[in-house]
Amino acid sequence: MKKLVLLFVLAIGIASCQNSSNKNEGESKSTEQISITAAGATFPLPFYNMVFKNYTSESGVLLTYGGIGSGGGIRSLGDRVVDFGATDAYLNDSQIAELPAEIVHIPTCIGAVVIAYNLPDVPELKLSDKLLELIFMGKITHWNDPQISALNPGVKFPDMEITFVHRSDGSGTTYIFSDYMSKVSTLWEAEVGRGKSLNWPVGMGAKGNPGVAGTIKQTEGSIGYIGSEFAFAQKIDFALVQNSSGNFIKPTIESISASAQGDIPDDTRVMLTNSSDPNAYPISGFTWLILYKEQSYDGRSEKQALETLKFLNWIVDKDAQAVAQQVHYAPLPSKAVEKAKNILESVTFDGKSLLK
Amino acid sequence: MNSEKITKGALFIASLVIVLVTGGMVLSLVGGTVPVFSKFGINFLFSSDWNPTEGREEYGALSFIVGTVLTSVLALIICLPLAFSTSLFIGEYYRGKRISKIIGTLVDLLAGVPSIVYGLWGFYVLRPFIVDLGLSSQGFGIFTSGLILAIMIIPYATSITSEIITLVPNDLKEAAYSLGATRLEVIFYVIVPNARSGIVASYILAFGRALGETMAVTMLIGNSNKIPGGLFDTGNTMASVIANQFGEADGLKLSALIAIGLLLFVITGIINALGKFIIKKLS
Amino acid sequence: MNDILKKGKFKREEKNPRMVKNKLFHRLVIFLSIITISPILLIISKLFIKGFRQINLSFFTETAPDTFMAMTAVNNGEIIPGGILNGITGTLFMVIMAAIIAIPLGILIGVYLYENPGRVYANIIRDIADILQGVPSIVLGLISYIWIVKNVTSGYSALAGSVSLSIMMLPLILRSTEETLKMIPTSLKEAAVALGVPYHKILLRVLIPTGFSGLLTGILLAISRVIGETAPLMLTALGSSVVNYQIDKPTSAVPLLIWEFYNDPNMVDLIWSSSLFLMGFVLTLNLISKKIASTRNAF
Repeated sequence: MKKLVLLFVLAIGIASCQNSSNKNEGESKSTEQISITAAGATFPLPFYNMVFKNYTSESGVLLTYGGIGSGGGIRSLGDRVVDFGATDAYLNDSQIAELPAEIVHIPTCIGAVVIAYNLPDVPELKLSDKLLELIFMGKITHWNDPQISALNPGVKFPDMEITFVHRSDGSGTTYIFSDYMSKVSTLWEAEVGRGKSLNWPVGMGAKGNPGVAGTIKQTEGSIGYIGSEFAFAQKIDFALVQNSSGNFIKPTIESISASAQGDIPDDTRVMLTNSSDPNAYPISGFTWLILYKEQSYDGRSEKQALETLKFLNWIVDKDAQAVAQQVHYAPLPSKAVEKAKNILESVTFDGKSLLK
Repeated sequence: MNSEKITKGALFIASLVIVLVTGGMVLSLVGGTVPVFSKFGINFLFSSDWNPTEGREEYGALSFIVGTVLTSVLALIICLPLAFSTSLFIGEYYRGKRISKIIGTLVDLLAGVPSIVYGLWGFYVLRPFIVDLGLSSQGFGIFTSGLILAIMIIPYATSITSEIITLVPNDLKEAAYSLGATRLEVIFYVIVPNARSGIVASYILAFGRALGETMAVTMLIGNSNKIPGGLFDTGNTMASVIANQFGEADGLKLSALIAIGLLLFVITGIINALGKFIIKKLS
Repeated sequence: MNDILKKGKFKREEKNPRMVKNKLFHRLVIFLSIITISPILLIISKLFIKGFRQINLSFFTETAPDTFMAMTAVNNGEIIPGGILNGITGTLFMVIMAAIIAIPLGILIGVYLYENPGRVYANIIRDIADILQGVPSIVLGLISYIWIVKNVTSGYSALAGSVSLSIMMLPLILRSTEETLKMIPTSLKEAAVALGVPYHKILLRVLIPTGFSGLLTGILLAISRVIGETAPLMLTALGSSVVNYQIDKPTSAVPLLIWEFYNDPNMVDLIWSSSLFLMGFVLTLNLISKKIASTRNAF
């Protein structure tokens, strides 16, 4: 028995030595391996895990990411314990003022919030912004309400209570969703507002995308919002949402990308919800990485700063963006990539631009 | 003797560590609570308004305090008879026998289940079970959370209690048997009084575990930030709201969460003191 | 005379209420014990059914896969490739470090409480330990973040993770040490004193070995408790895609991986096998320590 345990421990020891040496093969160039640490948003977590791993094996720079939440990411950057943070909602001016120094936002991809539902006999559901307001604020309580049928002719709805499932934890998904709702419904804006967590008028809370998805799957007659990559990967039914041009749009990579076709400010801080583009899926949004504009702080080495910027430059470029599509996120439109690269060139070390 | 003094000194210094660590914890956290207390004052403790939306924030900890107390006390009530019986099984009735070792190991395994797995198991197995029994329409709530907590804390109470029970000196028990006592009487008149301190300690530790549990509760309690209306109503606990909101929190909300964290220290202290007081009175 | 004897015998064997109560209680204990172990049997079987497929050699020797590998595997109905090596090594690394901090400290403090039963200061320590047990793990993670991540390692690190785990382990070890020692008959200690054994030897050679089984119980419980904790590690160790043994760098852990798998729509299936690993580890620890305790059988 003891021998078995010893053998087991030995095996793991050998395996781990082999594994770490495998990882070290790529960076024989530098004697000291640079490692970059980042933390923040969970919305783009699958995409980040994927590209960070790719970059590590390609370049030898070890990238570590912790999906601890946008708030955690902002806090970590503010405490200067990470090289950059990740956030689903951009920081407004007063939030930036609370940080020790000026920061820049780099968008990395576009995700969407889909409206998932559980009605076994309803393969396609069309929802307008008005309907969303009525359902999510509890004004419509049953599926066979005439207002729902009016928008979905020919579909037979059961006489079932609508169970609304929302997020119990704070999240960027909720932020994007509530931002959209605030834009299309004055009632929502007045009574609920926009935020990463809200005072929900109706419904029950589940933790995380998996919690909401799991609850919806288990509860017939339920409806809720989830991050798009989750819905796509888990094959859950989601609704077509009517955008500002009146078209009913299914969330797809194309329709999500279309939401970014409008104007993007130079600092890339913009909400993509309720886009004016006729083909756009209206509940979409960027997700950003944030870092300090002046990279010489806290004894940071120029090499470290340079490697950080090289990585960020890579993530907005073609190779990484192609990966986004594979894992169900929409890649950045060229306009956004251009702005991002401009911002990266403005990042300095001791006043001198690093990437030029 | 010098070596005695040194040893005693070393022990004392060790004890200081825990005081310093705990004191340091409180100090580190207290600063973070200033924003929320300066805005809401003492009302923070008695208000159940909780609106986290930026721009219209309202924070009050009452709903969570109630939820915490309800779920933990319920967990302890469910856990008590189960853990005590199992301790007796392992430590007295079948002591030393193979079946005891198996049962003991199975119970210890309960402590090794990651809390997220408890949450998942509760979500996929326990929750539908409660719904099927007709006790609740969606299965989330105080009762379900209390039940999963009870399961989670059983190993703490059982392990230590059974260990303590086996340490009761045999001659005391033999004396009682020779006087004609039944096993039941030996348990309640000899073993329990002798092992009382250890048994109580194990339940206090188990209860503490229940108070501080985050993941499993957060997946089963329904997360409605109000005072629950009944045993099968949804609610929220202090640990759960911290776990849920911490990742995304900053500013005033972060301060509210840190305040709730500190409050948990206080609540734990009060309930523990109450428990010890009641037990003293009962004997 | 015969009548009285007969009556007494009759009572004792059948209708004596004390005997009835005794038998009933015994049955109750068995019944409740069965109920107590049913959840773990249900949980283990569920983990097994869902997770067994995923366990193979690479499970232990490869690091976690990425979401795309998982997605293709799931779509093709195959086992998800990769393993949890980075988590296994990280967990072992941090738990061992936490144990090195918490076990000696916990035992020493437990001994201190045992030696100073009535004093106010000792009572305060005891109360503090009981309160510490109730602190949510995420708060301990926050503390370790403030103390270690911000001020000592200037970044997420395995050390910060270990510190938060060690604080969690402390109350359990401390209290079970004290309570175990209290159960040791004072005659043992008095005999040693009478023989002129120096104080520290009484502790090391008499008390601790005698109470070894009880001490081990506390230590085991403490380790079991921290091995499955996610929240504090999120704020301290952060995670890592590779194996890491550096104390000042971020590190993965099995519960962190479980959390990542849970939140990734393609890797959900890996939760069960990873949990099985944790439980297997706890089981192994349990069996080893029971073996050690029985060979050192005290009294």
